[in-house]
Amino acid sequence: MGKTEIYVVGGGSAGMAAAIEAARAGAKVTVIDENERPGGQLFKQIHKFFGSGVHRAGTRGVQIGRALLKEAEEAGVKTRLNTVVYGIYPGKRLGLICEDHTEELASPIIILATGASENALAFTGWTLPGVMGAGATQTLININRVLPGRRALMVGAGNVGLIVTYQLLQAGADVAAIVEGLPYIGGYGVHASKVRRAGVPILTSHTVLRAEGNESVERAVIALMDEKWQPVAGTEEVLEVDTICLAVGLSPLAELAWMAGCRFSYLPALGGWVPVHDENMESSLQGIYVAGDLAGIEEASTAMEEGRLAGLSAAEALGYLSLEVAEARKIEVRERLAALRIGSFGDGRAIAKRELLRARCKK
Amino acid sequence: MLQSCDHLQKLGFGSGLPGVEISAMKNDDLVICRCEEVTQADIKEVISQGVTTMNEVKRLTRAGMGLCQGKTCGRLVAGILSRETNQPLQELKPSTSRPPTRVLPLGVLSRIAQDND
Amino acid sequence: MRIEDHPILGKTERRKRITLKVDGEAVSAFEGENIAAALIASGRRVFRYTAKRGEPRGVFCALGRCTDCVMIVNGQPNVRTCVTPARNGMVIQTQVGRRGGEDTHDLEME
Repeated sequence: MGKTEIYVVGGGSAGMAAAIEAARAGAKVTVIDENERPGGQLFKQIHKFFGSGVHRAGTRGVQIGRALLKEAEEAGVKTRLNTVVYGIYPGKRLGLICEDHTEELASPIIILATGASENALAFTGWTLPGVMGAGATQTLININRVLPGRRALMVGAGNVGLIVTYQLLQAGADVAAIVEGLPYIGGYGVHASKVRRAGVPILTSHTVLRAEGNESVERAVIALMDEKWQPVAGTEEVLEVDTICLAVGLSPLAELAWMAGCRFSYLPALGGWVPVHDENMESSLQGIYVAGDLAGIEEASTAMEEGRLAGLSAAEALGYLSLEVAEARKIEVRERLAALRIGSFGDGRAIAKRELLRARCKK
Repeated sequence: MLQSCDHLQKLGFGSGLPGVEISAMKNDDLVICRCEEVTQADIKEVISQGVTTMNEVKRLTRAGMGLCQGKTCGRLVAGILSRETNQPLQELKPSTSRPPTRVLPLGVLSRIAQDND
Repeated sequence: MRIEDHPILGKTERRKRITLKVDGEAVSAFEGENIAAALIASGRRVFRYTAKRGEPRGVFCALGRCTDCVMIVNGQPNVRTCVTPARNGMVIQTQVGRRGGEDTHDLEME
């Protein structure tokens, strides 16, 4: 078939979109993913996405996932599944583990699309079985079709917290409440309304004091916080829950980018430490591109567009697309990206992304 | 939730997003590194001895050296280090990332070493 | 508890039933699902006990990253049950410490 010219590490929204774009332009692309099938977080997202028609509004994540897999296959993208990239070395060399044997290979172009991991929130009793990430809950209920418990407390009222609360209800579990440390709800109003209509109280300025239980979570104690973030005496409430879901943000999974020597910027609006990149999604290292949540925590739609941008740029770098053709297509993608980074939710990310580009240009 | 960084900074929490729930900040027995069972007390102890970097905290407490290689506790440790030494988070780079990204059985590790020689 | 019928996802597909041996007891599972899912479905929440404090741990990230769900599978310790497919006849034990099962001594390996 021909030696791989582009290795994409991570077969989620961004990785698959990048692979499809590059393969359609004629490049030989292989996607490496540690799971037994690609798709990343898409298969957990059973709710309908927002956005314009171009961003497949009204479609569920699962459907987008299936469509991407099909398009990748049709475009001739190769995949190496159940394979972990354990290291990245100078000269764009990757170390892979597949089953019990290892392999080292070099690649002209590497696209890192390793996504994000859930943040942890440490509080007394947080190590008890029954305390888990909200994403973990989502995996269990939407992919494994098992309930982690019967009654949950959700910590965090961002989009993930609101959406997973609703999905818990759909799956047949009960949600006692959502507690949010801030005095306001961080997620979209439409998600919050849905959750409230279903009878779940959203308690802002509240904290979880501790989780209690013998061998697993049996209770959670929550309390109101004052303006100095201290629990207010007398407001402690005991909730009879067996599950506590932590929806306190995501951080880029950037170990490989750090290992490779990419330059990073610290941008809270994008999840913390983010590898800098230019408007072609190329990192501070020539031939290594970044896309998706790795390049800053956003959404599936931006992940796919960034993936496309990286794929187009990679194909152009290899000579499969002329400067004019590539630039024309890239402009379209960049316009769509800009359209996704507007409004009160998008502004912060737009500003942070510009900062990333600025940092990339610094020498 | 990401907006809370700025919000908390304005309220005087120098490090921004704490990672350790505010109610548990004084609970020194709180486990921070789940894999190695390193507590907040352990981390504060090495800080009181003069440690100021993530690498040093990892080396002296073993936080981040367990099976998950710091994937879960990294941010929590940074939050504590930031709070206790008054260094902003943007000055605390994560501890050095070295291969392998995943803890592997010894047999596989030795094969990797041979491949790289 | 298993979700048999879901408003969006529909009915769970029929899969082949298999049997696992967990701490000596037979536990029913479905072929191809990961071990952790099968154990949670059977009502189990504690997967291991920690080395220093002997504290119970269970599923935390469900993605194979946090390693809190590790158990001894067919004699091998530190197997991440949330990303390992269940197979018929698998012998699974609660892991105590870094390597031990409940009926073995905990070997502290550095």
